[in-house]
Amino acid sequence: MNYAIKTEAISKQYGTLKALNSLDLTVERGSIFGLLGPNGAGKTTLIRILTTLMNPTSGKAFIEGLDVTTQGREVRKLIGVVSQENSLDRYLTARENLELPARLHSMEKRVYKQRIDELLELMELSDRQKDFPDTFSGGMQRRLVVARALVNNPKILFLDEPTTGLDPQTRRALWKYVRSLTGDMTIFLTTHYLEEAEQLCNQIAIIDHGRLIALGSSEELKTELAGEAVYDIELGRDVNVFAEKLEQMESVCQVKINDNLLSIKLKEWNAISETLDILKGAEIKKISLRERSLEDVYIALTGKEVRG
Amino acid sequence: MNVKGTVAIWYRDMLVLKRSIWSEMIAVIATPLTFYLAFGVGMRRYIGLVDGISYSLFIAPGLITMTAVLAAYNESVWSLWFHRRVQFTIESYRVTPVTVSEIVIAKIFSGFSHGLIKGLMVAITIFIITPFKFEPLNLLLYILFLIPGSAIFTCIGVIGGTMLDKPETIGRVEAVFIMPLIFMSGLFFPLSSYPANVIPIISWLPTTALFEGSRQALVHGNFIFPFVLNLYITAIILFTAAVLTFRRRLTE
Ligand SMILES: Nc1ncnc2c1ncn2[C@@H]1O[C@H](COP(=O)(O)OP(=O)(O)O)[C@@H](O)[C@H]1O
Ligand SMILES: [Mg+2]
Repeated sequence: MNYAIKTEAISKQYGTLKALNSLDLTVERGSIFGLLGPNGAGKTTLIRILTTLMNPTSGKAFIEGLDVTTQGREVRKLIGVVSQENSLDRYLTARENLELPARLHSMEKRVYKQRIDELLELMELSDRQKDFPDTFSGGMQRRLVVARALVNNPKILFLDEPTTGLDPQTRRALWKYVRSLTGDMTIFLTTHYLEEAEQLCNQIAIIDHGRLIALGSSEELKTELAGEAVYDIELGRDVNVFAEKLEQMESVCQVKINDNLLSIKLKEWNAISETLDILKGAEIKKISLRERSLEDVYIALTGKEVRG
Repeated sequence: MNVKGTVAIWYRDMLVLKRSIWSEMIAVIATPLTFYLAFGVGMRRYIGLVDGISYSLFIAPGLITMTAVLAAYNESVWSLWFHRRVQFTIESYRVTPVTVSEIVIAKIFSGFSHGLIKGLMVAITIFIITPFKFEPLNLLLYILFLIPGSAIFTCIGVIGGTMLDKPETIGRVEAVFIMPLIFMSGLFFPLSSYPANVIPIISWLPTTALFEGSRQALVHGNFIFPFVLNLYITAIILFTAAVLTFRRRLTE
């Protein structure tokens, strides 16, 4: 068992709506895993299942080998959660907001006192620890929530859209804090910002309508997302001549000939205009885009949400 | 059962209460004191003796009981609603090793503590301004009623705060259910005012057991055992119902 989180065909149904549809994921220990998807994709639903707040309709999920549906208490000892809403207690001071979860984790006073001092220091909130959180800026509140999730020194930290609603500067600052946490801890974060996933995560899963549509490292996805595309071009004559010309182009990675049909694979779907230049004088009967690139898929699913 | 978790949540609620106790005290005492002065003192000449005692003495125990149970009810219903729907703090508790049962038990204890503390405040105020002296034994018997009474109303509050998502519904439940139940159970008039055929039914109500029983205990030192039994059984049933309702609502 070398994974921190594993889901097996996890599904969640709300009435007739399938919020998660047979999702399989494996998250390696010590990685920062990003779950990327537009609003309503099912990100929060998955986090709620993994953090034992909700039961799946079917399928299984494991945290460090523990079953989330039957070993909830054991699972909760190992995790820290930053929920989508801040859920800070406005009637408690910043410090008390950290003390309560420490006590809920049955930590010794001496131990949590020191831990809280460290966390306040790390999140640069030490001088505000006696203040109530509703006097804090959005970024400070978020940092306090992150600190709260870290009180029990969790093995796995869940962050549900940690920077949604923050201004770009504050968002970047929060990334800095998250990055500084890496080490033994596994971080599972959801976001609908492509950039956030790129900046922070070693592994990214893109989901929509509760289905996994792409998975890979940021680098892998970037090349994929940049978009290979296969076009089918039917020519009236001179198929071989044009095939040779196309093969010499930088943006073309592959050319296949099948009777009068040329199938060309482009590194970028938008390189089609250069390709058409080469095809000047050819008798083009038909052009069609065969495969949707991941970029298309991503834009289609994230819509206006893409890149914030 | 992890008692530490329950205690931590209860401690949080008491800490918050401690911070606002003085400002709350004025509000808590104002209503029963108004009733006491308006009816018990203001109407004294028109009402005369009720069940053989002065009207202000007749209503004093009920006003203390009312304060306690309303405080217990209100604390529970609003706290559950607020922490569940507004602040999402319940959710932040739920991702720690505590279980939902431990959370709801903590909340029941908090509501109960609010009831007892606020009831005590009104009791002290009324004892100070009235000429009546209550026997220590009577006070002890009275507390035996106040405890299940506060527990019952706490549990009703917990159930309401768990089930109801809209604050206006919570307000309506109080207006059409809680207040009538309290006012019609012998707080301001003796049960003998009801038509003879209704009295047996009314006597079975836990609220009757509470208001009639606690008055008998405090004023006369009468310990009416069926009333006490009624209250403790109701409290246990509602406690179970509150825990189950909360557990059910929170497991999706
Ligand atoms: N408690 C619920 N009852 C009914 N539908 C829900 C509930 N929670 C979420 N949904 C629906 O499930 C889908 C996935 O929601 P969610 O997991 O919150 O998505 P995300 O976090 O990716 O924005 C959405 O269509 C949402 O409207
Ligand atoms: Mg969400």
